[in-house]
Amino acid sequence: MSARVAIVGIGQTALRASADDRLYHEHDYEAAKLALADAALDRGDVDTVICSGWDAVDGRTISDMHTVMSAGGYLKDSTHVGEDGIMAIAYAYMRIAAGLFDVALVTAHGHAESSFETVSNVVFDPLFVRSLGQSHLVSLALQANAYLQRHGVSGEQAAKVAVKNRGNGAANPRAHLQSPVDVDEVLTSALVCYPLRDLHCPPQSVGGVSLILASEDVARRITNRPVWLTGIHWAIDSYELGSKELSRLDSLAGAAERAYGMAGISDPLRDLDVAELHDITPFHELMAYEALGLAPEGAGARLVEEGVTGAGGDLPVNPSGGVLCTNPYGASGLLRAAEAALQLRGEAGERQVPGAARALAHGMSAPSGAAARTDCVLILEGG
Amino acid sequence: MPRRVAIVAAGLTPTSSHRTDVTYPELVYEAVSAALEQAGLQASDIDAVAYGSMDPFDGVFAPERWNVEACAGAGAARRPLMKITTGGTTGGSTALAGYYHVASGLFDVVLAVASQRVGETLEAQLVLNTAVDPIYERWLGAGAITIAALQGVRHFWRYGTTEEDLALIAVKNYENARRNPNAHLMRMLTVKDALNTRLVSWPLRLSDCCPSSDGAVAVIFASEERARAIADRPAWVIGAGQITDNYWMGDRTWYEHWDSLSMLAHRVYRQAKIEDPLAELDVAELYNAFSIQEIIEYEALGFSDKGKGAELIRNGVTTMAGQLPVNPSGGVLCTNPIGASGLIRVAEAALQVMDKAGERQVPDVRKALAHAWGAVIGFHTLMVLSRGAP
Repeated sequence: MSARVAIVGIGQTALRASADDRLYHEHDYEAAKLALADAALDRGDVDTVICSGWDAVDGRTISDMHTVMSAGGYLKDSTHVGEDGIMAIAYAYMRIAAGLFDVALVTAHGHAESSFETVSNVVFDPLFVRSLGQSHLVSLALQANAYLQRHGVSGEQAAKVAVKNRGNGAANPRAHLQSPVDVDEVLTSALVCYPLRDLHCPPQSVGGVSLILASEDVARRITNRPVWLTGIHWAIDSYELGSKELSRLDSLAGAAERAYGMAGISDPLRDLDVAELHDITPFHELMAYEALGLAPEGAGARLVEEGVTGAGGDLPVNPSGGVLCTNPYGASGLLRAAEAALQLRGEAGERQVPGAARALAHGMSAPSGAAARTDCVLILEGG
Repeated sequence: MPRRVAIVAAGLTPTSSHRTDVTYPELVYEAVSAALEQAGLQASDIDAVAYGSMDPFDGVFAPERWNVEACAGAGAARRPLMKITTGGTTGGSTALAGYYHVASGLFDVVLAVASQRVGETLEAQLVLNTAVDPIYERWLGAGAITIAALQGVRHFWRYGTTEEDLALIAVKNYENARRNPNAHLMRMLTVKDALNTRLVSWPLRLSDCCPSSDGAVAVIFASEERARAIADRPAWVIGAGQITDNYWMGDRTWYEHWDSLSMLAHRVYRQAKIEDPLAELDVAELYNAFSIQEIIEYEALGFSDKGKGAELIRNGVTTMAGQLPVNPSGGVLCTNPIGASGLIRVAEAALQVMDKAGERQVPDVRKALAHAWGAVIGFHTLMVLSRGAP
């Protein structure tokens, strides 16, 4: 038996290339204010605040000293996960499900004050790997290469994912990149780290995302559009890149299996109406299809070629444009949950999937790409 | 009522200023395997992991990733792992996370791990200085030592606390640490010795300040059914919480009091149904990184009235033979792997309740309190453990 916990407030700031007028915690402040206004709550109504992010990326020791205050945590029970913000949802869910808190506010921010690439190198052990230049992007490129080599995925097939998501982003007024691209542009864009080209890589976006979660009692009292969390699970993968099968997202598969079990999903392609996935590269969206059981191993590209995951398909994936359009490192996973919740409320504007009743949100919490990445899967249902 | 949760095992590592005899994953493995062994569990019995460390003191970003297999093979088994970082309270926050993992009903057996290798840091105070506001406060040199000194100055001025009182606190903790095989500083200290150590930041002398340590700790939380099967005498969680004070140092209340800790204690004691902490608690493990803080903590936690904390140490109330022994482990004053220290307090409190604290065992412990502070004294965590289920 699982407790009923709902998303009752959604806050998203403008997401863009830079924000020289704001410090990192001001994104949390702005997003929290928006989420409180959306839920018609006052900060006094919030019982617990959970912030997220990485001190090393923020350039601040104990970065949550400031983000928790900015999110209204003064004299409250607060905490901080050193993860993508989607893991703050996981923690908030547990606090509410335990019956010890009724209203939880979670926040995440992305900023461009540091280079994620440079910082992510320091995740790797200083003895054997760090000096090789291993990083977030390099490990993702290794993974993409393993995937395309193993399954014969072509450059065109992967490019079509980028074309789909960038096309979707063009219809999302909140997206960072709102310009569509075509297959040729993707295939001729500059090589960044083989096989990843410039248009395979997400931007680095600046902004904040906040969600408010509530217990069933409170949710029913304060909103007529709750979004219920009916399935949730997360899993971490192993750290040594040489000791695992790089062409599969096993941590995502493990998390999905448990989340599906909790939500009673047996055939995800049929049972889900929309999905927001952490498409850190187009190759990773294809791998995610397979880990989520939407396609057999190696056959993910078929879903894109047949339009199944495109706008108007059986299971639109990333109608928001996904991470390829908007990537506030540390908040990108939480943003997936926010976008999925908007879909279930029928408030996604031009990108709305008609009649969406059940959604999947997937966030990757990975300070360094493929090494010990964590995947969190949420199943959300409209009220 | 929330699900009942208990601690069933706690594993600690030896600590020193730099554990160069082990790699980081090996250090974590020491703690985890000790906890698993004490519980009689296999790695495969662990459902999920909560991991705490303060990366900036490790010189490795996200060390929980490097150490993932040391956490009962969490990576190879694709288990859930959640990283917690909240400054000095990190260990306390990690205990809270472990508790909520089980209390939520999602998991039955959860491993809470915390680690730190401060020996990898050139100078911890410089790292900590980046926590405070870069425009208004950083240039003041704010860090843990200077803030604790400010607490001392205020307490001396307002209540007449003396350097001798601080020396009594140091002597008590050093004495206790000598019975703790996992303590970092294990040496004789007399009041005269303490008063002759060099001044660090008045009124704090070297013996009033914690060392920088490498160390790790692992604690296993379990649901009621599993706890009763695993341990003869589990340590039940009967109260737990965190509180957040203002970010800016100048916006806080007077430094001789720790009002945020008082507020948190009030909340947690109510949960634990404790009315008179001095009478009802049998042992306390407090985050006493600096001797003066232990005195202010006595007051904030209601062991004495405000301003009367020093009387407890003068009268021996908090020594091993006293009414309420505080820090039988020697506390943070003798061992401080920063992000692990809060979970070490919980582990020590649990070992006391489980009657497994060895030479530092306080007889017949029924209720124990574990505390941590962090974030340049802005955060506190508390957990109350009990021999009886809630």
